[in-house]
Order: sequence, then structure tokens, then C-alpha cells
Amino acid sequence: MASENGSILKQFTDGIVANNPTLVLLLGMCPTLAVTNTVENALVMGAAVIFVLTMSNLVTSLLRHLLQPHVRILVFTLTIATFVTIADLTLRAYVFEVSKKLGPFVPLIIVNCIIIARAEVVASRHGVGRSVADALGCGVGFTLALTLLGAIRELLGTGGITLLRESGWHWHLDPKVFEPHAWVVMIMPPGAFLTLGAVIGVVNHVRARRAERGGK
Amino acid sequence: MDLGSLAAVFVGVVFINNFVLAQFLGICPFLGVSRRVDMAFGMGCAVTFVMTISGVTSWLIVHGILMPVGSRLGGPESLFFLKYVVFIMVIAAMVQLVEMYLRKFFPALYTAFGVFLPLITTNCAILGACLLIDMNETYRNSLVKSAVFAFGGGVGFAIAITVMAGIREHLRFSDVPKPLQGAGITLLTACILSLAFMGFAGIGK
Repeated sequence: MASENGSILKQFTDGIVANNPTLVLLLGMCPTLAVTNTVENALVMGAAVIFVLTMSNLVTSLLRHLLQPHVRILVFTLTIATFVTIADLTLRAYVFEVSKKLGPFVPLIIVNCIIIARAEVVASRHGVGRSVADALGCGVGFTLALTLLGAIRELLGTGGITLLRESGWHWHLDPKVFEPHAWVVMIMPPGAFLTLGAVIGVVNHVRARRAERGGK
Repeated sequence: MDLGSLAAVFVGVVFINNFVLAQFLGICPFLGVSRRVDMAFGMGCAVTFVMTISGVTSWLIVHGILMPVGSRLGGPESLFFLKYVVFIMVIAAMVQLVEMYLRKFFPALYTAFGVFLPLITTNCAILGACLLIDMNETYRNSLVKSAVFAFGGGVGFAIAITVMAGIREHLRFSDVPKPLQGAGITLLTACILSLAFMGFAGIGK
């Protein structure tokens, strides 16, 4: 049992670091580029993905003995579409302004390759505990990657980071250092490509260094 | 509905709000299938084809089935929670139909498109086109504009991915730093392309 627990824990941490879906496996690139212009958008998107991924992995894992191979992708997609509809309506009810900014990218979670890949690779073959741990790990890894990109872009593009702008108690980080030199282009489309390309370069460099050291 | 406004929709979606470089739809194939120009062009054509058909079909289903049936059940929007499920089913069915039709009547085209067609089902540009048509007032009320928008979206995608493939064919011979090889340098190239496309923003005014 202890070893089983250990491997479930590893399944969780793998999704965050070693197999980070966004920065290592390069899955789900569209939302990564599109919603990282502010930290707030990135966090809300991450929460939506964690919810959908966990629920769809849970349901797929429960259904795994009933799945016929030729209709499995259809079943995955319909399961995901159901939970995305729930997530979308919830976001519209509670954080309407952010949900408007995310635009089509909340419904587009349906075709996010991270979720279909996790359903296919993990949930349709393993038990509930492992599938949910994997979903949480991947979801958290995705959220952290998005938040990192969002932080870089918002800081360089606007000179500060603001959370919960619409509600009463907003939190604002304002280092003042960047403000007179804010690069507006960072919160526009080219900034997204530039930041993601640079961050992937750094991640690859670190991984190569680590592999080299491990080999010696 | 004059030709001018249709042309404005088309130019707007091909250049100003290019699906890949300004709206970030269809990034996965943009990074994955842009190594060779002929493959990229094939993918672009297949996407344009499926996008136009599924954009029109999903518009017809929302306005011809969901709204009338919904009004019977209590308000035209009462069935709108089914939209996303309907869109994804329409796309999957259209891809399947297009695949069968091509295999029967245009075998040459089928072998050219073959590998890409199943991939297109989960291409977010297609679902994105259906969603954007549904979210925007102008397209929601006009089938012709929706069709032009979906077709233009596909053309914009095809242009972006083909240009990218042309650049990457040359990049193969250049000395790229090791950590940036592959996705990194492609994204940095996309950044410059996207800067260039920002220059088109003036046309719309």
C-alpha cells in the first residue's frame, strides 16, 4: 500500500515538473498563448482546466471497463464537453468580466490536447485514485506554467500586476521600476510568442544541463 | 448585404485578426505540421474546407433546430447549454463525411489530405470559428457573413502555416542555439511574423 501511495504521489508531481504539459510536452499551446496577457486570466483559465481535467479523468476512469475502442474518443470528447459547459456557465455567473476576456478559450478547453491525452494515456487504463492524482498534477503544472508566462508578460507589458480588478478588494503589485518603460507589445500577440519561445528555450537548457550532470 | 461588407469581413479575418497570429487558434498544427511547404499547404486547404462546411452547418443547426425547439420549450435560449456539445459533434461528423466523400470521389485528394483529416477534429481553429461566429452579433444574424468568415479564417490559417513552413525550410540550414531548436525558434519566428501582421491593423480603419 505504501508503495502504491508513493507511486500515486509521483504521478502527481510528474505532472508538475518532469512532464509539465505546457513547457515540456508542449500540449495545449493555444490557451497558453492566448490567455497569458494577465496573471488573473491565467489563474482563472488554470482553475477551469483543473476542474475539467479532474472530472473528465474521474468519469473516464470509472467508465474504462465499458469503453469500446472505436467510440472511445467520442466518449472522451462528450464527457469533456459536458464539464466544459458546466465550467463555462459557472465562470459566467461568478467572474463575468474575466470570462468575457477569455472569450472562446473556455469552450475551447473541449479540444485541448492535454485533456484528451490524459484521458487516453492514463484514465482509460488506470484506477480512480491514480487518474485523479494525474489530473491534479497536470492541471497544477498547466496553471503554474500559465501563471509564470502571465506574470512575465503583465509585468513587462503594463509595469505591474493587478488581481481581482473588478471586485472590491483588489491586490496590486507595482514595482514602479518598469512603469516608465512598459513594453505594450508584451501584452499583444507578438509578446505571447516571444515569451513562450524564450521560456521554452530556458527550460530546454536547464533540462539538458541536468541530463548531462546525471550522465556523469 | 453588399459585397463591400463581405470583403471587409474577409480581409479582416485573413489579415487583421489572423486566426493563428492574432487570435492564437490552431497553434498545435502551426507548430507541428509546418516543416515542409507542401504538407503545410495541404493542411491549410483541408482546414479551410472543413472550417467552411462546419461553420455553416453549426450556424444552421443553432438557428434551425436549437432556437425553434427551444422557443417551444420556453424561450429561444433555453437549449443553448447544448451548443458546445452540438458544435463538437458537427465537426466530428463533418470530418467523417468529408473523409468518406473524398475517398469515394477524389482518391488523389484523399491521399493528399489523408493524414490530416482525423487531426482536424481536434483542431481548435475549427471549433474556434464556430464559437466566434456564435459570439459575434454581425455573424450571428447572417449566414452569408458567417460563411465568408469561416472561409476567410481557413485562408488566413493556410497563409500563416505556409509562410511559416517556407521560413522553417530555410531555418534548417542555419545555426540555431541548441535549447531553441524545434519549438523555441518556431515560436520566436512566429513572434516576428505576428509583428508583421500587426501592420495590417491599419487596413480595417
